[in-house]
Amino acid sequence: MTTSVTANLGRDAVAGLVSAERQKSGTLVIRAASIVLAVLVVMQALNGAGILPFGFASWRPILVAYGLWGVALCIGNILRLGEAGWRALFVLPAVLFTIALVIFPTFFGLYIAFTDWNLSSATGRQFNGLANFYQLVNDPYFWNSLGNMVFYVLSVLVQYAIAFGLALLLNAEIRGRKFFRVAFLLPFMLSPVAVSWMIGKSMLEYRFGPGTRLLRALGWDNPSLLTSPWLAKTTIAAMDAWVWIPFMMILLLAGLQAMPKEVQEAAKVDGATGWQGFWQVTFPLMLPVSVTTIVLRIIFQLKLADIVINTTSGGPGGATDTVSSFIFREYKDRSNVGYGTMVAEVYLIVIIVFVALLLWSTSKFMQRHR
Amino acid sequence: MKVELYNRFVTNRRNVLKGAAAVSALAATGGISALTSTPARAQSDLRAQILAIPGVDKGQPTDADWQKVGEMCLGATKENVKEGEFKGVELTFMGLNNQNVHNVLYRGLLKAWSDYTGAKISWIDLAQADYNARLQQSIATNTIDFDVVEMGAPFEGDVCGKGLASEMPDWVKKQIDMDDYVSYLKPPVGTWNGKTYRISCDGDCHNFNYRSDVFADAGLAEEWKKAGGAGEWGVPKTWQQVNAATKFLKGKKLDGQDLYGYLDPCKGWGGFGFYFLGSRATAYAKHPDDKAFLFDPDTMKPRINNPAWVRAIQDVVDCLPSEPADQLNADPGTTGFQQFLAGTGTMLSWWGDIGSNVNTNDSSVIQGKTAFDILPGSDDVYNSKTGTWDKLASGPNYAPNMAYIGWGIYVMARVDSDPVRQKAAWSLAAHLGGKDISLWSAAYPSGFQPYRQSHFDIPEWVAAGYDEKFIKSYLDSEANSYNHPNAAIEPRIPGIFQYYSVAEDELAKIYAGQATAQAGADAIAAAWEKITEQLGRDNQIKLYKASLGL
Repeated sequence: MTTSVTANLGRDAVAGLVSAERQKSGTLVIRAASIVLAVLVVMQALNGAGILPFGFASWRPILVAYGLWGVALCIGNILRLGEAGWRALFVLPAVLFTIALVIFPTFFGLYIAFTDWNLSSATGRQFNGLANFYQLVNDPYFWNSLGNMVFYVLSVLVQYAIAFGLALLLNAEIRGRKFFRVAFLLPFMLSPVAVSWMIGKSMLEYRFGPGTRLLRALGWDNPSLLTSPWLAKTTIAAMDAWVWIPFMMILLLAGLQAMPKEVQEAAKVDGATGWQGFWQVTFPLMLPVSVTTIVLRIIFQLKLADIVINTTSGGPGGATDTVSSFIFREYKDRSNVGYGTMVAEVYLIVIIVFVALLLWSTSKFMQRHR
Repeated sequence: MKVELYNRFVTNRRNVLKGAAAVSALAATGGISALTSTPARAQSDLRAQILAIPGVDKGQPTDADWQKVGEMCLGATKENVKEGEFKGVELTFMGLNNQNVHNVLYRGLLKAWSDYTGAKISWIDLAQADYNARLQQSIATNTIDFDVVEMGAPFEGDVCGKGLASEMPDWVKKQIDMDDYVSYLKPPVGTWNGKTYRISCDGDCHNFNYRSDVFADAGLAEEWKKAGGAGEWGVPKTWQQVNAATKFLKGKKLDGQDLYGYLDPCKGWGGFGFYFLGSRATAYAKHPDDKAFLFDPDTMKPRINNPAWVRAIQDVVDCLPSEPADQLNADPGTTGFQQFLAGTGTMLSWWGDIGSNVNTNDSSVIQGKTAFDILPGSDDVYNSKTGTWDKLASGPNYAPNMAYIGWGIYVMARVDSDPVRQKAAWSLAAHLGGKDISLWSAAYPSGFQPYRQSHFDIPEWVAAGYDEKFIKSYLDSEANSYNHPNAAIEPRIPGIFQYYSVAEDELAKIYAGQATAQAGADAIAAAWEKITEQLGRDNQIKLYKASLGL
């Protein structure tokens, strides 16, 4: 068993093989690079604040300096720790990359969220405290889109039921099973943007679309699917389902295939009907996979934007708007970076809290049914 | 078919067409005396020849056609640039790729220029709805990554006002013959602090496109009379008449096709959709005694919630039940290209693209059934100063909407440090904004409409194959809009599309029945006030006044 104590002992032992002089030079490299980076960051920050008269024209050189610092850190670690330094190379670049592209932007975004930053403003970015947050609290567009998200998230349950049905079919001994497995997976391979154009803008086009023509032939005089609020919302949810049901189906199918056949056979021997076998045996055994599938799908669903932006632009009258498509408009059409970032950060927190609660409640549910 | 065989085939076909066009041009412009060779005659021949590529009613132009036109119009470039002079220069061009024109077309038009000068061009293609955001981000983050940009005058405040554009050299002014521009595109448009930055390649106004067959139909005229319609059945001249005709046409048929009246785009289009409400509103809101119609020029207080604008919004709400069932999800691209050109709807406000596409776009089914006019007027006009509705002694108030003031080609200041690069960028822009090439762009699907005085020479268009009545109607609608004394000219102020984009969201709510016209307009006004505060009220007032010439 490896513990942190034994790992430290191992590292110390390896470090012991490195000469003191080499360790010293490794430390020196790291410290020198860190000082250079710190000086450059402080210089650029002071220049940006108007305190220092000199600095770079943009922050790009600082990004380059960060990259070079990362290289120096890796080299310094190798010099300082020897074998352990080499091993750290497996992880360290990825960590530095994550810091640069995930952690730093998230925290920098938090700062942006508290600024008044409109790209067309003559005065540039200015700190404005909680003003963006208060604006968000009173913004009917935000609450409308959040309300729509409840509908879209609930639609995941319908998608789950359909996906489960398809998974059961594909798990059965049917003709052309392999073909159908691939065919049913195809919509998932398509970009939602392509789907929204092919289906939302072409097949469902009111005048010439084959989809609407079929609906007319079936007796629907005015098959305008995207102009009344609930119908538009349902149409968007259906297109979204078309893309994502295969994803849920494949996860559920994997679960079904991993299920021991003996249990179902035992149920049959005991006289259970097909329906009873499903409800009493298959469904309960599939609960862990089902919960994972639904949670993953909800996380994806909370980011729904592409189909909405392409097909309805959030209309009619905001009926299909999602939080992400609303943020998209704030950024793209209004260049309102400060407020848009506040909405994005608040939504991130909402998602984190919601998913945490979802995981907690499903974990409790699973424990009760174990 | 092999490419070289295709090219030979196309070239042969073109030679025949060129010959035919040249003969037509000769016939139209003076018979035997035209055989005398003069520079003016040579230019006239050239214009006739390019207008015959591919020829009206001969299908949509292809890349081979664009390349040919670009090659034939290279004369002006050759006068100022030596062959291979820009070898090694690489320029980046940012523009649109809407409806498969703009940048797509420019690639073909610039092929010969690039081959001759030696310069290479890389392209940044943008969808219309993405244009504003891309430009604003480049400006705000100081990441201008293009040398030449296709841009509308409303953005001049953002670009020229911040010193990001290169000043036009004198040789370019001479090459493109700026005096030929229609009056409203002359300074102050294209200039900032007295310096010229823009080569116009388009002149924008919304005109009124209508189906002449519908308004000439005797059966409908009879039904109109039976229904108690005011006056004779005919082309509406005021918005009041447009609304009445729209409501009347609901449920009527012509040649077995369902008829609809006016087409309102209700779905946002990255801010560009707001222009279409503007076209309905200017007759109500733009008083001949007042240059402003969108904001109060002294305070930047929005006028969008005044009785004039609210009336225009209410008109849309009242007409929507009579419009096609999918209208709430129709953006301007839908109303123009999927509806009107495809035969749905009788009346439409749009840029000049509709007129240049009726006979040259493969998807158009309304050839011979379309005519044009300036935007309808109104029996009364709101006077913002007195707060009353005025009836003018001269009759209805007309106020054509100069929406977007046309696309232009701008060179960015980043090329100024290198004289060769700067000359190359301006030469490229001058080629695209040249006098002859612009005639071709105005006549065929390009995204651009007529904008030079020389574009309004009707015999040139007739020689190219246009029906005289049709083209006169089209060109008159454009020229009369440009030259109208009460034209509503868009403010060239920073962030103008932010105002429009916010308005689109609120308008969508009103059209969907979630808010009244007045409540929605008040919400737009409040949002506009917030934007003005954010962008700096004093600066906006200063620029707004300057753009109105106050």
